[in-house]
Amino acid sequence: MKRRIIMSILFALITIASLSAITAEEIVRKMDETETFATSYSEGAIITTDRFGVKTSTFKAWSRGAYDSLIEFTSVAERGQKVLRTSGELYLFYPDAQELIRLQGAALRQSMLGSDISYEDMTGEKDTLAQYDVKLLRQERVGERNCHVLQFDAKTRTVAYPMQVVWVDTETYMVWKGEFSTKTGRLLKEMLVLETMVVDGRTLPKVTRIADKMKRDSATEMRLDRLEIDVNLDPAIFSLQNLTW
Amino acid sequence: MTMKLINVAFRNISRNRRRSLLSGIAVAVASMSIVFLFALVQGMKDDMGRNLATYFTGEVRIRNAQYEEYERYNPMHLTVDWESIDRALAQREDVTAYVPRVTFPSAFYVNGGNHPALGLGADFAREAEFQDLESILKEGRIPEAGKNEMLIGALLARDLKLALGDKVTIISSTAARGNNAITLEVAGIAAFPVASMNSQYFWIPLDRAQYFLRMDTGVQEVLVKVEEHERKSAAAIKEQLEAATGMQLDVKAYQDISMIYGFIELAQYIYYFIGIFFLLLGSTVIINTTMMVIYERMREIGTLSALGMHGKELTKLFFLEGTVISAIGAFFGVLLGTAITLYLGKFGINFTDALSGIDMEISSVLYPSFSIWTAIIVYIYSVVVSSLATLIPSRKASRIEPVEALRYI
Repeated sequence: MKRRIIMSILFALITIASLSAITAEEIVRKMDETETFATSYSEGAIITTDRFGVKTSTFKAWSRGAYDSLIEFTSVAERGQKVLRTSGELYLFYPDAQELIRLQGAALRQSMLGSDISYEDMTGEKDTLAQYDVKLLRQERVGERNCHVLQFDAKTRTVAYPMQVVWVDTETYMVWKGEFSTKTGRLLKEMLVLETMVVDGRTLPKVTRIADKMKRDSATEMRLDRLEIDVNLDPAIFSLQNLTW
Repeated sequence: MTMKLINVAFRNISRNRRRSLLSGIAVAVASMSIVFLFALVQGMKDDMGRNLATYFTGEVRIRNAQYEEYERYNPMHLTVDWESIDRALAQREDVTAYVPRVTFPSAFYVNGGNHPALGLGADFAREAEFQDLESILKEGRIPEAGKNEMLIGALLARDLKLALGDKVTIISSTAARGNNAITLEVAGIAAFPVASMNSQYFWIPLDRAQYFLRMDTGVQEVLVKVEEHERKSAAAIKEQLEAATGMQLDVKAYQDISMIYGFIELAQYIYYFIGIFFLLLGSTVIINTTMMVIYERMREIGTLSALGMHGKELTKLFFLEGTVISAIGAFFGVLLGTAITLYLGKFGINFTDALSGIDMEISSVLYPSFSIWTAIIVYIYSVVVSSLATLIPSRKASRIEPVEALRYI
């Protein structure tokens, strides 16, 4: 009897240990799953505070899977401007321009509407494992939450940030905090989730603060006012033809 | 006695013609170079003043007081209220013309890539009172207000392979601190006299620039031409406009805006010193030939000393020889320098290749500016410096002992 109890305890311990020994790749896969939707529609605002004051730009956004996204700005100064990411390319539409502008290379890292967010940050593909080698560093608390601390090292030169350190919630797999650096470790950008919301059982960022460390006295808050997931979307919404309408 | 010495000096000069000619040519070349150099620097200064006043800053420039502090961040939102400034400037008698302008860094989207350029929003109807844009039009016409058209610098058009009627999209940051893009048609190609304006700038109607850059009715700067005394007028305009608009303004005369203009003003003084060195270099030939003459004429010096000529008189004799050569050399040098300056002042010197890619408010073709006063000053200056230089060997003649000199017989 005693032996059976010991065996049962050992089995339970092994099971728990194997359950808790989640790999870095698994965490990243779950993190990407949390951030990726079959389809989504959102409305929100980008609030940039810099040396000249506060600027608010509002937007509507649609996404499909990890690779297609469309943002349309609705604030007066930028009304009608659109950013489309599809088939690995990023296009800008301006109402007064008679052609689409394709962003490539370093241009993807340009600031979007003078904020601390780049075009790539806003529309970047969510397939982390294809772009980075990942490493689980430790566990750490961010506020009240337990997080896995992961380091991502770029596999290719085409990514915006050669190195990232992210704090991923151990339960919800939402990224609470991120530090984005050059290969040599020079900090380029910082991200921190200030508020969350639960949509369809997933905990997602509602207000995120992003600071471009290359700019002095500048920070941007991205606020999602509305987020619907798995909505019915016309597939044509992510086409170049649709962009110019 | 002095008259006799002068006669002897002239006789000696003609006796040693080749040497005298060599010394005279050295002084002439130095004087000619200085006349030309001074005229070129003055020409550059005048040209830059004209270009600054016409294209870049006006004689007096009015901006938002905070603009300069944040200029490196391209603060398109730091504008001035054009309407109230227009009303106030219209009442001033010392103001001869004024125009609103918007200058904005931008990029041409050509063949999938970005080409940096500088846009300039201008009220073309008003610009006609400020400058003659029609005269520099190479092709096409001046853009019309309300139309998405541009006047482009000839070199920029060539670099981007743009021709009349072509449409091109430009991207820029806006006063709302966002981005915007607009497609413009090339209505005109201009050959601006300034290399940087020719290779980097395109001009668009002010109303389209304000719309594209989300500036409402604001403008980035107002350029003013005044009757005279730019600095004085700038101070008076600032006082009046700040009272009229209730805005803090940055009002400056063009001399206080351009760093390069300041350098040229400084360079002018530096060239005065360089002129002295030119002449001293030229004078070394006189010093050298005078020394040689003294050694060659040792027998003559000994005879003159034995006959009772004093050392001071010998010094005076050789000094007079040097002065006469300097005076004649400087005369022909200044004359030649004047002729070259007048010729190039009419036809200009083309620096297009040397200045291409250089961001200076200077014209590609420079015209040296001749001044009769400069010529007179250079002449006096040349004669004095060269003559004084002959004092060094002349003093040697005075120290020669007759007995020592007569050994050469």
